[in-house]
Amino acid sequence: MKKQKFRFLSFLLIAFMFLLAACSGGGSESTSGGDSGESDSGGGEGTVNIGYTGPLSGPAALYGERTLNGVKMAAEEINEEGGIDIDGKKYKVNIVSLDDKYLPNEAGSNAKRLIQENDTPIIFTPHSGGIFALQVFNQVDNFLIGAYSSEPKITEAGNTLTVRIPPRYDGYLAPFTKYQMERFGKKIAFLPTASQYGKDWAEALEPYWEEQGGEIVYNSSIDFTKDTDFFTIITNALKENPDVLFVGGASEPTAKVVKQARELGFEGGFIIMDQAKLDEMKRVTGSYEMLEGSIGVMPLVDSDEAAVPDYVKKYNEKYGEDPGSEAGLNYIGMWAFAKAMEAANSVDDPAKIRDHMQDGLDNIPDYARVYEIPSIGDDGGFESTLIVGAIEDGKVVPIPAE
Amino acid sequence: MDVLIQQLFNGLTLGSVYSLVALGLTLVYGILHIPNFAHGALYMVGGYITLTMMTQAGLNYWIAIVVSCVVVGGLAVLMERLVFHPLRHAPAIHDKIAAIGIMLFLEALVQFVWGADYQTMTSPYGQVVNFAGVTLTMQRLLIIVATVVVMALLYFFLKKTFTGATIIAMSQNREGANLVGINTNRVAMLTFLISGALAAIAVSLAAPINLVFPGMGHLVLTKAFVIIILGGMGSIPGAIMGGYILGFTESLGATYISNDYKDLIAFVLLVLILTIKPNGLFPAKGGH
Repeated sequence: MKKQKFRFLSFLLIAFMFLLAACSGGGSESTSGGDSGESDSGGGEGTVNIGYTGPLSGPAALYGERTLNGVKMAAEEINEEGGIDIDGKKYKVNIVSLDDKYLPNEAGSNAKRLIQENDTPIIFTPHSGGIFALQVFNQVDNFLIGAYSSEPKITEAGNTLTVRIPPRYDGYLAPFTKYQMERFGKKIAFLPTASQYGKDWAEALEPYWEEQGGEIVYNSSIDFTKDTDFFTIITNALKENPDVLFVGGASEPTAKVVKQARELGFEGGFIIMDQAKLDEMKRVTGSYEMLEGSIGVMPLVDSDEAAVPDYVKKYNEKYGEDPGSEAGLNYIGMWAFAKAMEAANSVDDPAKIRDHMQDGLDNIPDYARVYEIPSIGDDGGFESTLIVGAIEDGKVVPIPAE
Repeated sequence: MDVLIQQLFNGLTLGSVYSLVALGLTLVYGILHIPNFAHGALYMVGGYITLTMMTQAGLNYWIAIVVSCVVVGGLAVLMERLVFHPLRHAPAIHDKIAAIGIMLFLEALVQFVWGADYQTMTSPYGQVVNFAGVTLTMQRLLIIVATVVVMALLYFFLKKTFTGATIIAMSQNREGANLVGINTNRVAMLTFLISGALAAIAVSLAAPINLVFPGMGHLVLTKAFVIIILGGMGSIPGAIMGGYILGFTESLGATYISNDYKDLIAFVLLVLILTIKPNGLFPAKGGH
C-alpha cells in the first residue's frame, strides 16, 4: 500500500516536472503570442518570427543585450504601426532570442533550433564567430543572417543570404592613420584586445600604417579576461616612446587602458578600434579630457542625423541608458528587413527578401533613420557613410572619412 | 633602469592582490581539503558590495570596505553552514561540485541584481605620484601597504592567539583537534569568515585599478590556484611567497622575455618548482 502511494506520488512529480518544462519553453522569450511562421491564416493577421542568437550571459552579456535591445525596439515600433503589410495581411513581428554565450557552436545549434521550432526567415547574430558558423548551413536551411560584425570576411565569402549591418572596419584605417600621423607622429604601439577581432584589426592596420611611412615600435595585445592590471604592458609599450597607441576591445576596459597610459605619462593620441565607443569610454574616465587626441567611431548621441535625438530619448526611456551603435545599427537593420519583406511581398522567402533589401533601405520611415545607409552592396553589406569622430579640446569633432 | 624599477613596482602591486586572494583560498583548503572554486565569486560579490556601499549608501571608502568584509564573510559562513558542513563526510568530489555550483549561482545572482555591465569604482586615492622616474598612484601604494598590514595581522592572529592556533590545529587534523576539545564547527565558520573578509579586502583594494563586473572573479581565481599549488596547498607563507613570485614573474617576464608568453613563463616556473619540490615551496605540515 505504502509502495503504491509512493509510486503514485513520484509519477505525479515527474508529470509536474514535464509540465514545468513545457511551460518554460526552454528559455526562449516571446514578445507576443503565436509560435509558427505564418500558419495562422484568416482575419488578416499573422505573426512572423525573427530569430536572435547572441551572448546574453557571461562576460559579453551587456554587448548582447544592447544588440538585442535594438532589434526589439524596432520590432515594437513596427508592431505599433500595425505590423508588416503583405497584400493587406498584417504580420506582427515576434523576436525569439536565445543565448549562445558568445560561442560559435552554440550559435549554430541555436540557429538550427530557431528554424525548426520557430520557422525564422531571418536570424540576427552579433559576433563574427557565430556568423561564420551560421554561414555553413544558412543557404541549405534557407534563412537570412542579420550579421552584426564589421569583419570584411563575412561578406567576402560569397554567401548570398548574409546581410552585413555595420560598415567594414577596414574603411577606418585610412582616416584614423591620416589623422594621427598628422596630429601626433609616425611611431605607434599596438595594445588591442587579445580577441580574434582585435588581432584581425591589428593585422589590417599594421601594413597600412607602415605603407604610410609609419613605424610600429611595439606590438602586443591585452587579454581583458585574464589581466587584472595593465600597468606592466603599458610600461613596456611606453618604453619605446610611441606617438600613438592603438587600443581597443570592450569600451570600459579600453578606457582603463587609456587612463593607465595617461597615469604613466603618455601624452600622444589613441586610435580606438571600432568595438569601443568614445561616449561609453567617457563614463569610465569621467571626462573627454583624458581621451584628448583619440580617434574612433562617432558616438551615436553626437551624430547629426535628424532622427537621432528622438531615438536617444525613446531608448533612454526604455532601457535607461544612451544607445550606442550596437543598439542603433541593429535597430535600423531590423527596420530594413521589415520593409524589405513588404517590398518582396513575402515573409518566408529569404532569397526574395534579400533581393528587395535595397527597397527596404529606401522605405525606412524618417524617424527610424538613425544612420545614413543609402545602399546595400552586391556582397550583402550595407554601404553606410562612415562617421568618424576625434576628441579635440574636450569635445567630439566629426572627421571627414574620405 | 627606470623601467626595471617601474616593473618591480608593478609586480609588487600585482603580487599583493594575488597573495591576498590566495591567502583566503589556502586557509579554506585547510578545512575543505579541496580548493574552494567559489572563492573567486566571493571576491566578485565583495567588489559589488563595496561599490554599492560607496555609490548608493554614500559611505566612505574605508567604511564600505568594512561593510563588505562583514557581508562577504557572512556569506562565506552561510556557505559553510548550508553547503560544506552537511557534506563534511561526503567524498571530496561532492565538495568540488558544490563549490562550482555556488560559483555559478553567485555569478548569475550578481548579474541579475546588478546587471552585466562594467562598473567603475572610484577610490579617493587616484592621485599620481612621480618618484625618481617611477610612476606610482596612491591606490597602488595603498594596495602594497595594506596587503603587508593585513598579512602581518593575520600572521599574528594565527601564531600568537589561542583562537588562531585552533585554526591551524584543525587544518592539520580535524579529528585530533576535536579530540583535544576544539569546537570544530566554530573554527570552520571562523575560517570561512576570515577567508571571505580577505577576498573582500583584496577586491576593494584592486577594483579601483580595474573594473567591477560579474566575470571579475575568474581573473584572480586561476592565478590563486597556481599560487597555492606553487606555495604548497594549505600553507600560509606559501600563499604569500607564491603571490609575489607570480606577480614579479609576470611583470619581469613580460618586460624582458615576451608579453605574449608571460602566462607561459609563470607555468614553466610552476613546473620547475614542482619538479624540485613536489609539495610546493612550503609544504603545509599535517595530515593532508
